[in-house]
Amino acid sequence: MSHASKPIYRPVVLLAVATLLGACVTSRVENVREGDTGIAAGEGIVIMAKSYHLGNETEAKFIDCVGDSIGRGRSGLRVVPHAEFVDALFPWFEPRTAPAETKGLPALLARPGVAEMIKEKGVRYVVWLDGDTDKVAGGGSLSCAAGPGGGGCFGFAWWQNDANYEASVWDLTGLEDAGTVSADVSGTSFLPAIVVPIPLIARTQSRACTALADQLKLFIVAEETA
Amino acid sequence: MLPLETTDLKSRRLKTAIAFAVIFSLAGCAGSTVKLDNPTIPEPLITKLPLKVAARYPEVFDNYVHEEQVIGKEKWSIELGRANRLLFTQLFGSMFTDFQVIENDAEARDLGIDALIEPSIDAFEFSVPSQSQTEDFAVWIRYRIKIFDREGVQIANWPIAAYGKSQTTTFGGDAALQRAAILAMRDAAALIILQMDKATGISKLSNASNANTPPLPETAPDTEPAPDQMNLLTTATKETPDEPRQ
Repeated sequence: MSHASKPIYRPVVLLAVATLLGACVTSRVENVREGDTGIAAGEGIVIMAKSYHLGNETEAKFIDCVGDSIGRGRSGLRVVPHAEFVDALFPWFEPRTAPAETKGLPALLARPGVAEMIKEKGVRYVVWLDGDTDKVAGGGSLSCAAGPGGGGCFGFAWWQNDANYEASVWDLTGLEDAGTVSADVSGTSFLPAIVVPIPLIARTQSRACTALADQLKLFIVAEETA
Repeated sequence: MLPLETTDLKSRRLKTAIAFAVIFSLAGCAGSTVKLDNPTIPEPLITKLPLKVAARYPEVFDNYVHEEQVIGKEKWSIELGRANRLLFTQLFGSMFTDFQVIENDAEARDLGIDALIEPSIDAFEFSVPSQSQTEDFAVWIRYRIKIFDREGVQIANWPIAAYGKSQTTTFGGDAALQRAAILAMRDAAALIILQMDKATGISKLSNASNANTPPLPETAPDTEPAPDQMNLLTTATKETPDEPRQ
């Protein structure tokens, strides 16, 4: 290696190390099984957010992300779009009216047209998402300035995001709570700036989405015991 | 002394900078106008109540505009237009076997109907992310539904509070507020379907008044009532002051 190439490689190596550090997140995924699960050909699931009337803050993009992740790939499950499901069953799955517990399912399915519509949509499981991503800490100082001759930023900032989500799986065939899957992901992002800011973002919500979706897929597909 | 060209150049830059500053400051004060273009609700999965019902809408239902200046921030204008008329017409058409909309000068007792419904808007409120310190746009609509029997006697005066929330990260500012307003109207529709008969006793106005009349659903099974819902049941037949929701 020639001495002339060293200055070129040094920033690249530093950037790679910094990127690796920035991408560092910790995650914990757990599931609690209440009943047997399994899914047959033609059966599907629907991903719903718990009601905002009850204070739930789950982001719409997270719900879409989990639905997309579960439906993707060769082992993907059939995911019925939640808007389509809620519209078809109006007004029984609105934020104000959706059942809060599985013990309300028998009465709900006894209502005219409800069971038939669920069967028509091919929905076997309803997955209720609860939780959100919050910034729990942060610090540092970063200032930017611009003038006719150009601009730049100097300083260092950091922040920590925690993504805590829980998915309750309801089996509409057995009218029971099949269990819950939870994902807790924590990550710290950095933003050093020497003229140009270099964001090193910990994608906690994205990681929580992937982890929760993968675990939900395994949880639902698990073979039913005879 | 600077050469003339240099002075002109600096002057031009200064004027450009001032122009940009003026444009940006004006943009900061500019308002946003949100319009609801004929929102609809899905066909409800319910059994229609066998009643001959008419609805009479106030003039404000045809062109309702809510304007609000967020303190120190932008001005918002929400034009509901004919959205309320369309919503209630579609809703009541799905709830009753015989439904018609009558003009304001029509006499209910000449129509041979079981009940006359007069919905109105008591209040409209919203919050934007800069107020709530969240990413959410929220809309509250307080409707009031008056019901008259075939003789024109008022039998119910039912205030209902509907709520809708939408995230700005998903739909952007204007679209998020529009979405929140539509969700609030949809929330009102769900509440009316669920609680109307229990709160107003409209099914008792049936001309036949027979025992076979299937009542409207009273409550969703095992449903958590919204915070405002408990109040609605107790104020259904009272004249209540129109207090804005906090």
